[in-house]
Amino acid sequence: VRFKNRYVLCEVVSEDPRCRQCIEDRALGLAVRDAIARVHGDYGLACCSISFTVKYLNAYTGTVLLRCRKDSYRLLCSALPFVRYLESRAQRYPCFLNTLHVGGTIRTCQKFLIQYNRTQLLRLLQNCTNEEERQCIQKSLLSCSLTEEQSQSGDEEEDDGTETD
Amino acid sequence: MHVIINCNTFNEYFTVFSLDLFSFCLLDKIFLTVCFSVGYSAVALNHVIDFKEKKQEIIKPVSPSELFPSLPIVQGTSKKIKVLTRLTLVVSDPSHCNLLRSTSANIRLYDIIAVFPKTEKLFHIACTTLDVDLVCINVTEKLPFYFRRPPVNMAIDRGIYFELLYTPAIKDSTMRRYTISNAISLMQICKGKNIVISSAAERPLELRGPYDVANLGLLFGLPEGEAKAAVSTNCRATMLHGETRKSACGVVYTVKKPRKVEEEETAVPACKKAKTQA
Repeated sequence: VRFKNRYVLCEVVSEDPRCRQCIEDRALGLAVRDAIARVHGDYGLACCSISFTVKYLNAYTGTVLLRCRKDSYRLLCSALPFVRYLESRAQRYPCFLNTLHVGGTIRTCQKFLIQYNRTQLLRLLQNCTNEEERQCIQKSLLSCSLTEEQSQSGDEEEDDGTETD
Repeated sequence: MHVIINCNTFNEYFTVFSLDLFSFCLLDKIFLTVCFSVGYSAVALNHVIDFKEKKQEIIKPVSPSELFPSLPIVQGTSKKIKVLTRLTLVVSDPSHCNLLRSTSANIRLYDIIAVFPKTEKLFHIACTTLDVDLVCINVTEKLPFYFRRPPVNMAIDRGIYFELLYTPAIKDSTMRRYTISNAISLMQICKGKNIVISSAAERPLELRGPYDVANLGLLFGLPEGEAKAAVSTNCRATMLHGETRKSACGVVYTVKKPRKVEEEETAVPACKKAKTQA
């Protein structure tokens, strides 16, 4: 018998390109907790923060993986739309969180993320202007897989970062 | 004047959202790109007419192709984004509804027509007799009237959908209370059927993704299946409902075919052709 968790995969969307660089796990955790407190009150905040952490954060793509208990993931998911800004180093960046996937394990979220990144890369490929960038994207598209995730996911995210800038 | 956004299916990421005409000058490509990167696939441009102000006339809808010369492609498919036009009438008096009954040419040009009733009588009229696709439910103040079952059931039978906004809830905490209480009282009467959740965003950052909006539906008391439908299939049904107004009883469509004038003059009528060939 073990504790069951839910992993919520989100993407931080904002207009300001500086916002992505300043994403950090503490700021995001605070913002999400604050939203839960505003929507569900003290009870909701207490329920959700039993096993609440930011498990994975990617500043280049703005991908965030949150963890919470299975019993309270509904409270968390329904409060995510109410996150309006991220605050870090006395700067407020307006943004919103877009939920991509809710999974029971990190592995399923990772599989989804790889698929999602692949579609995003395809979309970037369409908007490519430079031949070099095109080659880069095509190479990373062909090389994304679950087994070699540590080195490759770093590659594909890096390319993603250069294109979006 | 606001931007209203409805979301649609998860399978095809199909969304309808409305933009106010005034915001077009401020409207950047950014707004569109944010929406479509989040996963929406259809857009409706909204024009709000409030009869309390000086008499306003219904303007012809701005053609979407003028505003967005190149439409981006929906994520995951190869279809282009659909852009529709929508009209919202804020009615507080039965005489305002005459506009809908008159066969004014400009109304016919809008794809979706929504009405925002302010009194109980108007709500009844809108649900039972008016020719609209959406009935907007007020979320910014306490409802002056309670919903009753007969008009709501008639609206469901006629295929009219009730629209709830969610951006006021994101912005302000008092609005949040009104939104949730009005939504739940509606839910108790209609059991979650025929609901469309849309946003009245004025900035691209007030948008939310389809998954998030379905989760908001859970907050409003919708069962999970209905919440996802409120974001997807119901919106599509509204669009189709709007389309049927342009056709004869939803069965026959007329399409203008370009005439080739020279052919017309020299073409031999079909019956004569058959005899000569035989």
